[in-house]
Amino acid sequence: MNITGISLNHKTAPIEVREALHLNREEIADFIPRLREAFLEEGFVISTCNRTEIFGFLKNDSIDLNPIISALINFKPVEGIKPEHFKKYFSCGALRHIYNVASGIDSLVIGDSQILGQVKESFELAEEMNFTGSLIKKFFDSAIRVGKRAIRETGIGEGAVSISYAAVQVVDKIFANLSKKSALIIGAGETGELAAIHLKDKGVGKIAIANRTIERAEKLAEKLHSEIVPFQFLKEQLHNFDIIISATSAPNTIISRQDIAAAVKKRKGSPLCIVDIAMPRDIDPEVKNIDNVFYNDIDSLKIIVDQNMQRRVNQIPEVEKIIMEEMVSFIGWYNTLEVIPTIKSVRDFFESIRTDELEKIKHKISDEDYAKLDDMTRRMIGRILHNPTIKLRSLAESGTNYQDTANYSLILKELFDIDNKNKDNNSKD
Amino acid sequence: MINTINILNLLLPLLYTATFAAYAWDFLKEKLLFQNSKRIFLLTTIIIHIFYLFIRTFEFNHPPITSKFEIFSVLAFSIALSYFILELLTDIRGTGAFIILIAIFFQVVSSLFISHSYSVPEVLRNRMLGLHVISALLGYSGFAISAVYGLLFLKLYKNIKTNKFGLFFNRLPNLEILEQLSYYAFVIGFILLTVAIIIGFIWLPQAFPNFRYTDPKLVSTFFIWVLYGIGILSKILANWYGKKVVIFSITGFGLVILSLVLTSILSHSFHSFY
Repeated sequence: MNITGISLNHKTAPIEVREALHLNREEIADFIPRLREAFLEEGFVISTCNRTEIFGFLKNDSIDLNPIISALINFKPVEGIKPEHFKKYFSCGALRHIYNVASGIDSLVIGDSQILGQVKESFELAEEMNFTGSLIKKFFDSAIRVGKRAIRETGIGEGAVSISYAAVQVVDKIFANLSKKSALIIGAGETGELAAIHLKDKGVGKIAIANRTIERAEKLAEKLHSEIVPFQFLKEQLHNFDIIISATSAPNTIISRQDIAAAVKKRKGSPLCIVDIAMPRDIDPEVKNIDNVFYNDIDSLKIIVDQNMQRRVNQIPEVEKIIMEEMVSFIGWYNTLEVIPTIKSVRDFFESIRTDELEKIKHKISDEDYAKLDDMTRRMIGRILHNPTIKLRSLAESGTNYQDTANYSLILKELFDIDNKNKDNNSKD
Repeated sequence: MINTINILNLLLPLLYTATFAAYAWDFLKEKLLFQNSKRIFLLTTIIIHIFYLFIRTFEFNHPPITSKFEIFSVLAFSIALSYFILELLTDIRGTGAFIILIAIFFQVVSSLFISHSYSVPEVLRNRMLGLHVISALLGYSGFAISAVYGLLFLKLYKNIKTNKFGLFFNRLPNLEILEQLSYYAFVIGFILLTVAIIIGFIWLPQAFPNFRYTDPKLVSTFFIWVLYGIGILSKILANWYGKKVVIFSITGFGLVILSLVLTSILSHSFHSFY
């Protein structure tokens, strides 16, 4: 199997190099023709902020991947990049690596669900550029299957592994029907926006944004189809919300214990979930001592993130089982490719004998008899070749008796003198 | 028939324990091994328990409510059945271990000490009494389940407040659901206790010549009924939430136990049979 791969990722290179080497869609589209021209029959290029990888089937039998690495470095020169930053993969190693990538176990954040989509996009681009064939398609399909099975059959992608998503997990543990809940996001920065998006994805019924600069609040509110709470009226509005997520860059606390106590009183004890993901904190942490107030800050949410991360790490052996199953399946399929030409040649040989003999009697019998004979001989040849075909195919699929497979193929060709006959036929053509 | 009764009497604690083990395994481990089959364990146990109660009734010619230990078996059954119905209605499957643990306790005590070598007063053979007692026991099972959910609510409430994101945080349903489960069990318990009280008011004066409305057991049961009624009204009319509701439920159940113990031990009542 001459599939190969090169990879520069978070395990092999520092972040500056990874970021600088990142190829956007246009750059990949520019680079693919160079790969096709000099190195690969077919392949695809994955590039994210954490990894740049090239997979493909080599044009020749050379196993030197340094020219591909040099070509990439020349294509996008990056300060400090060295060939040692690349890891090279061959045959089963390449197969295993793409499976590791697709399943998320090779990601910086174990179980990262985005990588599967990124692998798909890379392949789609390669397809658009006519850089894919049946082999790489099968290779890609099996990688996607591994990724999907890992998500479906294991817990590799479960649990929050970011602070903003951990906040949503806490919210989820307090409230049942989020569509009837309302959330207030204080701070329209990147963190606040991410938290708001997660809440919206979870189906929170109403989201409102409060920000010191009203324009930023309006921008985010428009994006999320949410309401705006004027910052100056923030404290008077707190009781209207079941969830408060604060992520401003204010230097001091902006909401005191008294503010929350007053809000809880107005809410008649209805639970209030407060998540303070600002640094320094926006809300007086003393609010956690108020009954029916659930207060979480970055430190407490990090406990959830760490636990979930550990749980994902514990799932790696389960994912590896899936990877092994899919590797066996892919290699089995690949090995059958070796015997398919032999099987085809033998079948063609028998078919040519059959048609020759039929031709000889075609004018001596009626059309009806000819049709019967044609059908009967076809079935006869099919039955004669059934067992050898199955045997050869299963030997190849098992992948363990490579020598046996080669011997059987050779014997068949020798016995029926197939190679010579093919050459004769070709020369006649 | 006696042999079958004896075998089932031994088998039931084992079945409840196996069901508990399946629910506990599912709660503790994040594997999917018993996710669906635990419900089949519970259903099988309930069906066999029904069969056991029926053949006892036919064999001894009275409802299985003539001794404390028969009552305990009915109580174990009604707790398991109430939980099963609640699980079917809500499809919340993660809390069964905590409820079935109570059923195990009652069934084990029942199986250990139950006998049938005593004379049964004629009044205890009455079918109306059977209906009265079984509806009361189902009602009390509802209160017990409500209290267990209340305790689970408090456990999760405390865990979230103190940032303990361990097993209970990961495996229990959320606080609102636990409160709802507690409240539903509370309401079901109240309705069944109401049925028991109505049957009692109609039937008891006819059955017992020394019947009196001031009997301590009647007064305490009425007091419990009023208390739970106030709880339901408070939830509906005064919009009680979370902690207040479950603390009310736990306190209510504590009073149920206290009143049952006090009226059984300290007072002599026409309503005491065992």
